This record gives sequence, C-alpha cells and structure tokens, in this order.
Amino acid sequence: MAQNLIQLLEGSTLNIWVLSTAWLWPLLEILHFVGLSLLLGAMLVIDIRLAGFVQKMHIQRTHDLLPVAGIGFLINTLTGVLFFVGDPARYAINVGFQIKMLLVLIAGLNALWFAIKINPEMHRWDPYADTNIAAKTVAYVSLVAWFGVLLLGRLIPYVSTG
Amino acid sequence: MFEWLEYSSLSVWVGESLWGYPIMLSLHAIGLAIVVGIFTMFNFRVLGLFKSIEYSAFLDFFKLAWVGLLINAGSGFALFCSQATFYITNTPFLVKISSIFIGSILAFRIQSNLRLNAEKWDSKATEVTMEKIMASKKDYTSSNIKVLKGLEADVHARLFCGPGSKDHLYAQFSLLLWACAIFGGRLIAYL
Repeated sequence: MAQNLIQLLEGSTLNIWVLSTAWLWPLLEILHFVGLSLLLGAMLVIDIRLAGFVQKMHIQRTHDLLPVAGIGFLINTLTGVLFFVGDPARYAINVGFQIKMLLVLIAGLNALWFAIKINPEMHRWDPYADTNIAAKTVAYVSLVAWFGVLLLGRLIPYVSTG
Repeated sequence: MFEWLEYSSLSVWVGESLWGYPIMLSLHAIGLAIVVGIFTMFNFRVLGLFKSIEYSAFLDFFKLAWVGLLINAGSGFALFCSQATFYITNTPFLVKISSIFIGSILAFRIQSNLRLNAEKWDSKATEVTMEKIMASKKDYTSSNIKVLKGLEADVHARLFCGPGSKDHLYAQFSLLLWACAIFGGRLIAYL
C-alpha cells in the first residue's frame, strides 16, 4: 500500500511544486509549529481541567478553547499533507510517522467518545468541582496521545524505516 | 569560551551519542508546546477571543508554563553546547534567543499584572451593573443620548474593570515574540 501511494504521489504536480519551491518547506515547518502550539496549548488547558485540576475554572467554559484547537489542527493537517506529498517515500515507510498517525487517530476517537458519551451530561456537573473517572480517563488519553504525536513527529528523522 | 563548551562532556554526549540529540530535541518540543501554548491561550483571552474563562485560573497555568520554560532552558542549553560556535554566529538563533529572553521578561510582567488584577477582571458584579445600564438606554429619548453616552463611558471606566490598553499591548507583543521565537528556531537549520 505504501509503495502504491509513493508511486502515485511522486512526480505529481503538487509534489513537484513542494520540492521546487525553495522557501516553502521552512515556511510549512514554521506554520506546523505555530499550529502545534495552538492545538496543544488549547488541549492542555481543556484536558488539565477535565482531569480535575484547576477547579476554580468553570469546566464547561473551557470548551470556548475548542475553536483554537480546531484551527491548530486544521493548520497542521494542511501543512502535514504538503510535507507528505512533498516527500512521500520518506514518510510513508517511517515507523515514527506511522505511530504518529495512529496516535492522531486515537486522539480523534477519544474526542469522539467524549462528544458522544461525556459532553451530553456535562451540563449537570458542578462547574467548579472535581470530575468523574470517565472524564479523567478521556483527559489523560488525550494528553498522552497529543504529546505522543508531538514527540513522534519530532523523532521522524531519527527512527528507522519499517 | 564557546569552543570550550563544545568539548564539554555534556555536548559530546548530546552531539555524538545515538540518543542524546533526539532526547534533547524531544524535550525541547514538549517545552515549546507548553510555554507557547499556555502564554498564547492567555494572550488570546486578554485580547477577547473567548470571554468566559476565569483570569485567575491562568495563574495556575502560568506555573506550568514556567516549568516548560525551565525544560527548554535546560534542553536548549544542551543543544546549544553541542554546536556552540555555530549557534553563536547564526542570525536566526540570535533572533530566537533574544525573542525568548524578552518574551520571558514580558511574561513575568504579565503574570505580575495578572496577580494584581485577576480578581477584579473576573468580578461578575461589575459586568452585571454595566448590562443594567446598557439595558436602561432604551428608556431615554434622543435628546438625552449625548448625556447618556458620557455617563456610559464614565461608568465603563469605573465599573468595567477588564484588562486595559496596556494589557492588550502586552498580549500583542507577547504573541509576536513567541511567534518570532518559533520563526527563528525553525530557520536555524536553513540559514
């Protein structure tokens, strides 16, 4: 599958554009780092409260930060796709990249679980109190997954190909 | 001095061992996300992006941000040592390190202001009073509107004690400085 994807992308218009535009790669990297700061900054505040810390912060209102996380995720998806299209042979077979994508998927499913199972009952919670075990689990899974994504992303150049 | 740093045992470990460099880079990325993430969220709050989150809660998050900064000072120093003579003449690095230096001092100032004002900024009573005055506006005829506007501004200044223009300026500068730090940091490898 990886080989087919590499063959498909290499030599494509977008692939050539990314590779032949000298300033593009560093610009994408800067944007990718700005995006990660927005995403992880917002998730850090939301998840720390959801895990039961900083109880003087109204728990439902932390959701005001979700659009910031969403914009960060969007920036990083767009720049990430361009990285991948620009150098598919490097990323597709890289174990670090594969685990990173798996962690993004886990974080996404975790967020979906939160939206379906926990969010609907949140309005009944005391906004300035500790959270239940289900909420704490979602919070810690989210934190571990997103910081794992960050870590694996940074280690892509240093892990072997599989 | 920078040559001496390059030959210290720390820099030899970071520069030549299999895992030294990646470990320091990973720590540096985690610290970055914590520091820039938290300060950015607070600056957005001051600038009015999301109006409901308590200012006082950010005092706790600032503590975490300082831990992040400490992680990055440590990992950054280790990374610097491994190629000290290269970094010290590298323009993006100099932009980055000065942005972080000024950004940290500014963040400290912002934190002191927050400590002094968080309670005032969070107080709901003043906002309620303001809303009442706004609501009563429709009871006045157009001839009184000028007087009312003056009163409104006065009440606003006295009662609505949110962050002032100085706080907004600090927040904007802070965002700019952390962006410059990322910008410089990413360009080190290219220039």
